[in-house]
Formats: sequence, C-alpha cells, structure tokens
Amino acid sequence: MQLGDNISFAFPEIWLAISAMALLMIGVFIDSKYHRFISFGAIFSIFVALFLVNFGTASENASLFNGAFVTDGFGQFSKSVIYVAAIFAIILSDRFMERERLARFEYPVLILLSVLGMSLMVASTDLISVYMGIELQSLALYILATFNRDSRRSTEAGLKYFVLGALSSGLMLYGMSLIYGFTGATTFEAIAAGADEANRIGLIFGMVFLISGLSFKVSAAPFHMWTPDVYEGSPTPVTAFFAAAPKFAAMAIFARVLVEAFPAATDALSDWQQVIVLVSILSMVVGAFSAIAQKNIKRLMAYSSIGHMGYALMGLAAGTSQGISSVLVYMTIYLIMTIGTFACILMMRRPEGMAENISDLSGLSQTRPGLAIMFSALMFSLAGIPIFLGFFAKLYVFMAAVNAGLFVLVVVGALSSVIATYYYLRVVKIIWMDEPAPEFERDAGPGVKGVAILSTVLIVAGIVVIMPFLNIAAEAAAATLF
Amino acid sequence: MIGLGHYLTVAAILFAIGACGIFINRKNVIIILMSIELMLLAVNINLVAFSQFLGDLVGQVFAFMVLTVAAAEAAIGLAILVTFFRNRGDIAVDDANLMKN
Amino acid sequence: MAGSDFLLEYLPILIFMGLAAIIGIAFLVLPTLLAPSNPDQEKVSTYECGFEAFDDARMKFDVQFYIVAILFIIVDLDVAFLFPWAVALFNPELGMDRDFQIFAFWSMFVFLAVFFIGFAYEWKKGALEWR
Repeated sequence: MQLGDNISFAFPEIWLAISAMALLMIGVFIDSKYHRFISFGAIFSIFVALFLVNFGTASENASLFNGAFVTDGFGQFSKSVIYVAAIFAIILSDRFMERERLARFEYPVLILLSVLGMSLMVASTDLISVYMGIELQSLALYILATFNRDSRRSTEAGLKYFVLGALSSGLMLYGMSLIYGFTGATTFEAIAAGADEANRIGLIFGMVFLISGLSFKVSAAPFHMWTPDVYEGSPTPVTAFFAAAPKFAAMAIFARVLVEAFPAATDALSDWQQVIVLVSILSMVVGAFSAIAQKNIKRLMAYSSIGHMGYALMGLAAGTSQGISSVLVYMTIYLIMTIGTFACILMMRRPEGMAENISDLSGLSQTRPGLAIMFSALMFSLAGIPIFLGFFAKLYVFMAAVNAGLFVLVVVGALSSVIATYYYLRVVKIIWMDEPAPEFERDAGPGVKGVAILSTVLIVAGIVVIMPFLNIAAEAAAATLF
Repeated sequence: MIGLGHYLTVAAILFAIGACGIFINRKNVIIILMSIELMLLAVNINLVAFSQFLGDLVGQVFAFMVLTVAAAEAAIGLAILVTFFRNRGDIAVDDANLMKN
Repeated sequence: MAGSDFLLEYLPILIFMGLAAIIGIAFLVLPTLLAPSNPDQEKVSTYECGFEAFDDARMKFDVQFYIVAILFIIVDLDVAFLFPWAVALFNPELGMDRDFQIFAFWSMFVFLAVFFIGFAYEWKKGALEWR
C-alpha cells in the first residue's frame, strides 16, 4: 500500500462495511421489537453509498491498493445498479418475512455484506481482490438461501448452493493460479502485458477454468444445475435478490476480467470468444427447452434467468465496446423485469400459505385484474415482445453480435427466443383464459405493490423514460474498459 | 530434481480427486466438505509452487487469502449442514432431492 | 550453492522436531516395556460407570460440538495472519519505512476490530453457552 493512496476513493465500500458492522451490533443489543429499524438503517446506508458512488470522490477515476481496486465509469454504473437492486430486495422482504416468522435483523445485514462483496468485486482489477469480493458476496448468499432454517426445502437449497458454489470457487481459483503461474502477475494490466511471452496452453487452461467458475456464478449452462433448486427452495424475497444483484455483479466482473486481462490486442480474444459463444448458445437452448415443462413459477423464473444469461453473454462474446455496453443495458433491464416479476410472485398468497404453482394463477384476470395486467406485461417483456423494454435489451445484444460477425449465435438466439416466447405466453394464457382459482389475499403491503407497479411502468413506458438515458450511461461505462 | 512440473502434477491430481469426490460421493455431506477443502489446498500448492518458481511473493499472499476464505467457507458449510441435519435427521446426499422434478 | 546455508538456519527446528519425536515415542514405548500387563476379559471390555456398555463408541455426537468447531476454525486461521505480521513488521533486517510500519501496525488493529465485532455477536447470541 502506498501511503499516498487516497483512501477516499473507497469510501462507498468502507461506509458499507462500517454500517453493516454497526447495524449488526445495534441489532444484537436492542430488543427484538425494534428490529424493523435495522431494515430502514440498511436501506439508508445503501442510499448513502449510492450517493457516495455518484457524487463523492469515488466518482473520479483512480486506481489504488497497488492496482487491486479501481474507481471508473464501469464500476460506478455497476455499483449504482447493484445498490438499487439491493434496496428493492430489502423492501420486498418486508411483509413476507413477518408472515413467515423469519423477521430477523440478520437479513438486511447479510444483504449489506453481500452488497459490499459485489461492490468490491466489480471494482477490482486484481485476481486476489476479485476472489475476495466474490467470496464475500457468496458466503453471505449461502446463508441467505438457508435463511428459513426450519424449512427442509430452504436448508436443502442452501446446502446445494453452498456445495456447487464452493465447487465453482475452486474451479475459478485453479484457473487463477494457472494464470498467475504462466504470466507471473495477478493484476489484469500485468496479465495482459505478460500474456505474449506466456505458455499459451497453460494460459488457455487457466482462462477456461476461470470462465467455468464465473459461468457458475452467473448460472449459465452447462453450469446451471443449482439454479432451479436454489430459486425454488429459498424464501421468495431472497430468490428475487439472487436473480438480480449477484447476477449483475457476476456478469460485470466477467466482462471486466475478460476485456481487461485478455484484451483483443494480445490475441487472447479469439480464445475466450469461442468459449463464451458456446456457453451462450447452451444457456439459451437450455433456458428455452427446460422451462417448458415447469409447473412451479419460481423454477420457471430460474430457467428463464438461465436463458437470459445466454443473451447477455451474447453481448460479451462480441468483445467490443458496443458489446459490453449492450451487456450492461441487458442486465439492467433484466433486473427491472425480474424484480417486478418476483414482486408479483410475492403477491400470490392464499390463507394457507404462499402459492407457487403456475396453475394457481389461472383466471387471475377475473379475481385480480390489476395484478393480472402487471404479470402479463412482465411476461411479455421477459419474452422480448416489441414495445416492452425486454425487446430493446435483446435488440442491443443482437446488434452487437451482428457487428462482431457472430451470425450463428444470432440465429440460435432468435430461434430460442421464439421457443421461450411459448412458455411466457402460456402463463399469460393461464391468467386470462382459464377458469378462476381461489382469490389471493390482498395484504402484500405497500412496498411490494409499489415495486411491482414501478417496474411495470418502467417496462411499458421505458422506451421514453429510461432507454435514452440508460443507453448513454452504459456506453460511457463500457468505454472505460477499453 | 523435483521441479515445478512435479508440484503442478500433484496439485492437479489432488484437485481432480477433490472434484471427483464431490460428484461421485453419494453417502455423506461431510465428505463433500472435505473434498472442497482438498480442491482449495490443491490450488494453494499451485500458488506456492509458482510463487517459489517465479521468485514473486504475491502467490504466497494469495495462498494466505485462500486459506482464510477456505476456513470461513468450511465454517459456513458446517453451519448449513447442522441446520440441514436438524430438519432431516441425517446427512446422506441421496436424500437431498426434495425438489427434483 | 547457498542452499546448505539456508537449510542450516532451520537446523534448530529439525533438532526440536527430532527431540519431540524421541520423547513422544519414549513415553509410548516405555510403559509397554516396564508396566506389568496381564489382561483378562473383564479388564479389556468397555468400562462405563460399572454397567455393561450400552452402545457402540462410534455414535453420532451432539451438534453443539459442531458449533464449537465452526467458531474455532475461523479464529484458528485468522491467527495465521498475526504471525507474519508480528514477525515481519518490526524486523530491522527488512528495513521498512517507519510510516509504513505504523500504517501496517494499525491495519492489523482494524482487522482485529472487525474480528471483535464478530465475536461480540456470537457471544451475545449465546453461541458460546453450552446448553
């Protein structure tokens, strides 16, 4: 550490760490009836971090801790999106946790800690700090998956997530150790510089291991086995968080590692491009075909997320500035859609408990027209039907892939998108055409309703409301990597 | 003379044993935890061997970080295992199929 | 080659390990040679407060032990950071800059403070109580 380094560039992360520890101490020492305030405190502290990232010294470009940590436009964009997603995850948990007797103050603290991990990982430019960031977020997420510790399904989900997550960390680390060994460096810049003299076979081995590990974290096929079980078993607000922020963070660090450590100039691009193309094709196909037979809405969302990761990886496969900006746009829009959908899923509650089957939605248009409209709009958007925001997300990655000459990828993407449309529309058909099932309770709470309405409005009116702004921001963010 | 290649071979073998242990083992989750640990330690052998070979300390620092994180990971794994055990009464992997379609 | 000099520095450790091994083995071997030994059925059977043994010794044991193990693992390895810090930081041979030494000194205290918060949490939660 050079003492000249100005630590104020890392203020958002330091603030998150201190507030997480402070909230933990407050939570454990106060009476349990005040535990709601810990959630408010967590939301407040993420807001402060959001402010610090965008308006403090942390919004300037800098590199500190011997090149292990940077602040740049890419990190700023990613962190902002992750923070917003985390705020929504805490809001979504509000009523649910109380009803399921899970209202414990550790939940917002764990969310804060995993947000800290994600924040560190999207800002890291050194293999060591990438690993530390990923582990910090993963360790918190393992506990969140097991949060309903009296439920067999939740503990089983946590155990599966833990075992496969640890396996993926192991693969990633093995790759990192090979990359370190063959280039003699752990910072991305030095890896890129050392790649020319390196043993090519060894380096490619390391890179493939690293890509496998990161594919696990974004749940891309063929490393997607954990996703459906973890999505189904975890408490629904936790699933909403899993589907949003960690995916974005993993995709962001995926892009940063590949673009910064293996840039096109060292002809490593062609090596990783073909791996990413393969992973992308597999994810899109697996996502499209496996989702068709699903009966549980959370499992459906899991396969849907696998498919969507395939599309996002399509932009990454392009490897250009346009490609990376399309990944950021795609992931942001996916995040809006998925949080909205999970807010709707959280409203599916009958007196006997949470309803999670797709058949429970039948005839929703007659019992709850408002919820039916929101659900349908979100499904149209996830399918990528024009006018809805999801269409523009797909359009951008397709354009990036076409410009990079990846035509096979584009054709497979278009075909699997058509197949995927079938199962999204099946949900819409069940909502509007089938005989009504018993009505859902109407006590989801203002937070969940607000999130659902907000994201529906955004995906319907997004083309004028956020699209121009989002596009410029993503392009500026992606440009800082090149 | 024992060279870098020997260390890398040992690490690769240990890593493969660990990975196989996770996939093949059908009886006990504790064995999976041990396999995970084996994989991480194989990585550490790699890192320390490379560090010595390159004359660069960064690899050893990395190995230290991996050791600590592995400990935290083992602790969380055990904690999840304890909750799993309390709900189910045993820890056989075969039983963990409540959600298979 | 400087290798032999380098290894010579570790000679005390080798001697220490050898000594420990000899003493350890001696304490194991001596009783078998010196102590009287005439076993019978009653003597070698499991002793359990005067009763017949109820159960096999390889039983499942209390989850509480796992919790202690979990808490121990973390403390155990974090101490591993203290050793290099303590040995290297004020070593005059390394000739570190004074400002750097002070910075590194307090860095460890930040680490320990984070550690202490974890400890306070587990204490207050009652994880250290033996129920």
